[in-house]
Amino acid sequence: MLDFWSDYTIQLVVLGSAMIGALSGALGCFAYLRKQSLVGDVVAHSSLLGIVLAFWFTYLLTGTASKSIGILLTGALVAGLASLFLTDLITSYTRIKPDAGLGIMLAIFFGTGIMLLRFLQRSQPAIPGINGIDDYLFGMAATMTSGDAWLIAIVGVAALVTMTLLWHRLKLFTFDADYASGLGMPIQMLEVVLLALIVIGIVVGLQIVGVVLMIGLLIAPAASARQWTRSMAAMCVTAACIGAASAAAGAVVSATGSGLPTGPVIVLILSAVFAFSLVVAPGRGLLHRRRKVVS
Amino acid sequence: MVSEGLSHAVLPGLVLAFLVTRDYSSPWLIVSAAASGLLMIWLTQLLRRTNLVDDDAGLGVVFSAMFSVGVLLVSTKLRNTPFHSECIIDGNLALAALDQLELGGRDWGPRTMYVMGGLLCAILVVVIGAFKELKLCIFDIQLAKRLRLKPGLMEFVVLSLISLTTVAAFEVAGSVLIVALMVAPPAAAYLLTNRLSWLLGLAAGTGVVSCLVGFYVAVQIDTSPTGPIASAAGVVFLVTLAIAPKQGLLARWFEFRGRRNEMLELLVLQLVSEGGRPALSGLAITPQSTQRRIARLVDAGLLEIDSSDLLVTPAGASALHRL
Repeated sequence: MLDFWSDYTIQLVVLGSAMIGALSGALGCFAYLRKQSLVGDVVAHSSLLGIVLAFWFTYLLTGTASKSIGILLTGALVAGLASLFLTDLITSYTRIKPDAGLGIMLAIFFGTGIMLLRFLQRSQPAIPGINGIDDYLFGMAATMTSGDAWLIAIVGVAALVTMTLLWHRLKLFTFDADYASGLGMPIQMLEVVLLALIVIGIVVGLQIVGVVLMIGLLIAPAASARQWTRSMAAMCVTAACIGAASAAAGAVVSATGSGLPTGPVIVLILSAVFAFSLVVAPGRGLLHRRRKVVS
Repeated sequence: MVSEGLSHAVLPGLVLAFLVTRDYSSPWLIVSAAASGLLMIWLTQLLRRTNLVDDDAGLGVVFSAMFSVGVLLVSTKLRNTPFHSECIIDGNLALAALDQLELGGRDWGPRTMYVMGGLLCAILVVVIGAFKELKLCIFDIQLAKRLRLKPGLMEFVVLSLISLTTVAAFEVAGSVLIVALMVAPPAAAYLLTNRLSWLLGLAAGTGVVSCLVGFYVAVQIDTSPTGPIASAAGVVFLVTLAIAPKQGLLARWFEFRGRRNEMLELLVLQLVSEGGRPALSGLAITPQSTQRRIARLVDAGLLEIDSSDLLVTPAGASALHRL
């Protein structure tokens, strides 16, 4: 057991997963409070196209297959933001509802992403490393390198600093955009910053949870944390802790349990935390309610 | 959002039934997967009643958890069967034709065809048979309640049909892209018509076109058909979005241009009637554009050129008066 914990790779993977979980959990609070869970789901799915395109372009340009997550996640970021931008375009010029607009973007981006991925996987001569992209479907924490961990740490610190600096504005905007606008705050600017933060929260999580289940890592920590507190700052911190603990636990289980995909393991842990929070949360949970009814 | 949830949530039911029966063509697969879909809907409604979580978020947590169970089952128990994790995404469309239905020693064609055909008939019967009632439940739930139409039961029937369709499509289309076929064709049809009956027909037609186009592309580039079909559904929507006769972007742009022209011409007319040509210099459009508009108004007989000045004709005056 001691061997296990002193193993450098395991330490790295657990630490990296915890960082990712904390970041996605904290940023997911904004998505949850703005009722944008579906947005998170669609952005996550859409980013597959960005990942595959980034991989392909680097291969075409340099002739070598790069799996540096810096490049792949930049692609994911661009594709995620593009899908949101296009949804906004469609819903503001036609009578198509946001839900349907997002579904269509999922169809285009994820459909094309899968098509391109399968096409590249079958192309001759085989492209080295293309099969590794499959890991982005269901997540694989074990492939993390120390470079990846550093990159995630830097992105995470940048996102958290932005969040802290703009905390009061973002909070006001999240709860009462009209009032924020009345105070003369740059609404569109805040909207873009907030969406960018949510997209960053999604994109870093892809590495461990994968595009398909990313909505779980984004939303479940926030939904659980919401049960325990009434303050947004406390909610963010709690969500970050839940995200970090679940992601680390999931990475350990996955690393020891014969190469299980990390994503489903983490999501199941998070769902258990969510169910637990729903039942026992003080002053709000189902147990509390029952006790109140009895007394 | 519900169809997105459903398409993920049927997976555990499907895998469990397969683990028990070990048979792809067992009807239990469909029953169990549909039950799994209904379980997800029941769980989300339970969550909604607690009022503790936002609806979408509750749905998201429930379906991602159920999907996780499915993925884990596949990757632990079914690692070395044809039912591997690639199927979760891609489905088995290319293999569907290989699974032939044999009855009484004769080959009756692909089994999937009969499953899908039967489902299509069932859906057609329900939709055509209860069209008026369904329409009322969609558009005016209060009146439907007053008329004792049991909107709750209707919703359950419709959701069961959606769940069944999702399951049937899952086997061939894979989990993630079903939502593409459930959302994009109706959205495209919605841009083309306002009538529910037309909407249903057009959506079905759009879906068929998307599938054919997607399948053709898949054959051309030799990949599994799921991705191209979803992608085609999206592209068909985008094309419709561009060229739809009333709601489309092109039509809207032309309409906008037309209205703008009309407004500007009336403005020119108004300015001329107030102060003649000099008053036009205040217009914030280019002189050439103003000249063109004047020429058009003269052609239409609303303005006339008198030596160097412009005059509003009686017809022009009455046009202004109407405004």
